[in-house]
Amino acid sequence: MRWLSLILSAGVALGLFYFLNFPHDVLPPLGKFLNPYAGFWQNNAASDKIPSVLDVRGLKDSVMVLWDDRRVPHIFARNDYDLYFAQGYLTACDRLWQMEFQIFATAGRLSEIVGKQALDYDRFLRRIGMVYAAENSLKEMLTHPETRTILEAYTAGVNGYIHSLSSKNLPLEYKILDYKPEAWTPLKSALLVKYMAWSLTSYNIKDLFITRALAALGEAETARLYPRYPPFTDPIIPPGTPWNFHPQIPEKPKSDFQPATRAMPNSIEFTPHLGSNNWAVSGEKTSSGYPILCNDPHLVLNLPSIWYEIQLVSPQVNVYGVSLPGVPFVITGFNSEVAWGLTNAETDVIDWYEIEFKDDTKLEYLYDDKWRPTTVRIEKIKVRGERTVLDTVYYTHHGPVVYQKTEAPFDKWIPPGSAMRWTGHDPSNESLTFLKLNRARDYDDYFEALSHYDCPGQNFAFASTEGDIAIWHNGKFPLRWQGQGRYINDGRNSTYDWQGWIPRAQLPHIKNPNRGFVSSANQYPTDENYPYYLTGSYLPFERGARINERLAKMENITPQDMIALQNDVMDLHARKILPVLLSLLDIQSLTQDEIQSYEELKSWNYEYRAELIAPTIFEYWWKELSNMIWLDDMKSPLGELQIPLRDVTTSLILTEPNSHYFDIRTTPDKETLSDLAIKSFQSAIKKLTEELGSLDYNWEWGKARGTDMNHLGRIPGLGRTGLPTNGSECTVNMKHPLFVGPSWRMVVALGEEVKAWGIYPGGQSGNPGSQFYDNAVDDWVAGKIYELLYLKSPHDKHELLAGKTVMWGEK
Amino acid sequence: MIIDIIICLAVMLFLQLLTPFWWWIMMVPFLYGIVKARSGWKGFGVGMASAGLLWLFGSLYYWLTGGGIIAQRVAMMMKLGSPLLLIAAITLVAVLAGGFAGNSGYFLRTALRRD
Repeated sequence: MRWLSLILSAGVALGLFYFLNFPHDVLPPLGKFLNPYAGFWQNNAASDKIPSVLDVRGLKDSVMVLWDDRRVPHIFARNDYDLYFAQGYLTACDRLWQMEFQIFATAGRLSEIVGKQALDYDRFLRRIGMVYAAENSLKEMLTHPETRTILEAYTAGVNGYIHSLSSKNLPLEYKILDYKPEAWTPLKSALLVKYMAWSLTSYNIKDLFITRALAALGEAETARLYPRYPPFTDPIIPPGTPWNFHPQIPEKPKSDFQPATRAMPNSIEFTPHLGSNNWAVSGEKTSSGYPILCNDPHLVLNLPSIWYEIQLVSPQVNVYGVSLPGVPFVITGFNSEVAWGLTNAETDVIDWYEIEFKDDTKLEYLYDDKWRPTTVRIEKIKVRGERTVLDTVYYTHHGPVVYQKTEAPFDKWIPPGSAMRWTGHDPSNESLTFLKLNRARDYDDYFEALSHYDCPGQNFAFASTEGDIAIWHNGKFPLRWQGQGRYINDGRNSTYDWQGWIPRAQLPHIKNPNRGFVSSANQYPTDENYPYYLTGSYLPFERGARINERLAKMENITPQDMIALQNDVMDLHARKILPVLLSLLDIQSLTQDEIQSYEELKSWNYEYRAELIAPTIFEYWWKELSNMIWLDDMKSPLGELQIPLRDVTTSLILTEPNSHYFDIRTTPDKETLSDLAIKSFQSAIKKLTEELGSLDYNWEWGKARGTDMNHLGRIPGLGRTGLPTNGSECTVNMKHPLFVGPSWRMVVALGEEVKAWGIYPGGQSGNPGSQFYDNAVDDWVAGKIYELLYLKSPHDKHELLAGKTVMWGEK
Repeated sequence: MIIDIIICLAVMLFLQLLTPFWWWIMMVPFLYGIVKARSGWKGFGVGMASAGLLWLFGSLYYWLTGGGIIAQRVAMMMKLGSPLLLIAAITLVAVLAGGFAGNSGYFLRTALRRD
């Protein structure tokens, strides 16, 4: 009996111990996690308190940190080593988990944290050679003495913070996912640069699709439905700008190579979405007489935010802006003399080469009639709770063969059996550009800094107190013959290789243009007279056109005007096409509900405001219409084709109203554009009613298509969802259904005293228990912006300063 | 019995503030059950009360000193909705863990006792 009691009681106790001590499926180990003295409660807002003193081993001298009321650190160091050491340390204080998680996600190491569910994703990242790319970059970064020292200082700073941690003050996510941070290394900083490079260049991997379209439709129809040069443009460099150089353009090989690739991804509407705006106006157009520069990069919005705001001051530099947690420097920002901002170039720097291996060992491949050896890289993927998985990746001189012919690609756009050529794999040192931009005093410094920048290509807008404004479409872009890289290439033939690079000085650029401003919004960079062949996933031109339309009209510009322009939600696509579509509707045939919707559209001013219903109706209508026009035409014997980009559809409606594409092939009748307009309108209203109920406030744009800011690791409860944001894909204040938007808005007014404003959706702290985790989100939704505190000395006084920390080194 | 609870509570708090291990709420009641409990019920009761109080007071303390935001987020993450339910759940976990540990400590002693 005694034994029975023991067995029963101890059985329950041991069961409880087991349940509480170990993680189960999605649950953290509950004992550890719930224990108030070491678990999640320790990540409360008490950790927001600013320490007056920090003893930090590794600093050469003391460092003063002033904190403002938004928890932005203003770091004053006596030497550069200490400056970047402190940047690493303080960034880690607020963002350690994010820093490390992004690196694991880049290096193909997520399986170590979450187990085998991430295995295919990890294998994919290994196959595209992310670590290989980072290793090549790191070699360059370490070759240059200045970037080497700074990288080492930053690394030491991050590790200084990691070593100060005990298990009870680990960031919350480590407790939820039950693991511990490992040491930071310079390679991890290089990996973060590659994380950005891949995010910003990888939607140029659609060559497979266009190759299939060519086989299915022929050259003329492919060019019509998927034009290289967009049907509507307002390029970055004003049209008509002369190109005063003799271009060296390689000749197209006389080869009629037909790729053997037969796989066909299913039809989806491809919408490039990571974009950005930047512009600079010259002093002639501003009320102060000095230039103003603005920038808002559009990236996936997560919590914690991708940006960390910071001011870095040493005897050599005083720069303010946003940094990427994981790399030193300010990425977009300003100092007292210059300001700069970035938008994604979109120019294609990834091509595919079909490879012929000698045999199944894949140790040799054919190139110019000779067998060349491949380089073999064995990837070891550790999997939590399981055996390590080994994977072999075969590298040709083009790059890695990402998937073999027999394998199903993780990303369906990747052609099996082809090697990937990507500028991101080449040795480069982008950090040198940021080092120099942070310290630039004038246009020449900026121009020099840009020459070190390779990938991901960016449009660098610039303004200086001296009065210069400029923009460069900058990066390492392949020198291509006409049409090269649009389709899958012959990997056996050297004439298909990239023939070099577009010379830096001949890249699209403009300095102090007559129109008094420069701007970019990811559109095609030039008119059709630019001599070099550029191809890529350029974004629809409307955002850029709206910026240019407004800037051209404005005079005596103030920073407030620029803040208003960043929040502008006039949609040029709707403005162009909606009146035409409405004129096609026969009101007599509409029901009462449909007439109400029609009236909403009729009285709309084309602004995508959260509280309006018309944007929602228009979006649904356009989607239905586009599907009705194209879906029946997208079937081919080779598989489904992709619906053409939106502007191709718009152009078809405006210029070829009798096109055969308007007939729905699957019906015996011959439909016209008007038939489709009314059918799609009725179908859209029906869909809206089914999905959102009858016409009511539920149809408001901000409710029907709110913005979700998910937690970076998709942990429920740690994000902000259903934010009633303004904007559309082609308004200046950009909103994309994949939750992409202005990840940082910055306005810099240069002058005798530089003044600046900025906001990003999130907060400085990565701790979900902090009041600074998401404190800026609501203000960001409302279009507000904060004045930025550009301090000159650690003794500056300001009402927005909240505290001071002295970081002591070894005494 | 109240004195036993207070002693257990004090020992656990002391160990807890020195080390991060969560299982003091089982270990201390278990040892109490072996060494001192006069019955299985007493082992259970003292373990339950001391562990439950330790985690209840700890939760309340951190909740009221800057834990409002984290409590709300974790309550959402664990689909409990409100911080009060979260604190109740935490207390329940400690009550069960401490109770059964104290109880099994007592039964271990009685099982090993020579008649």
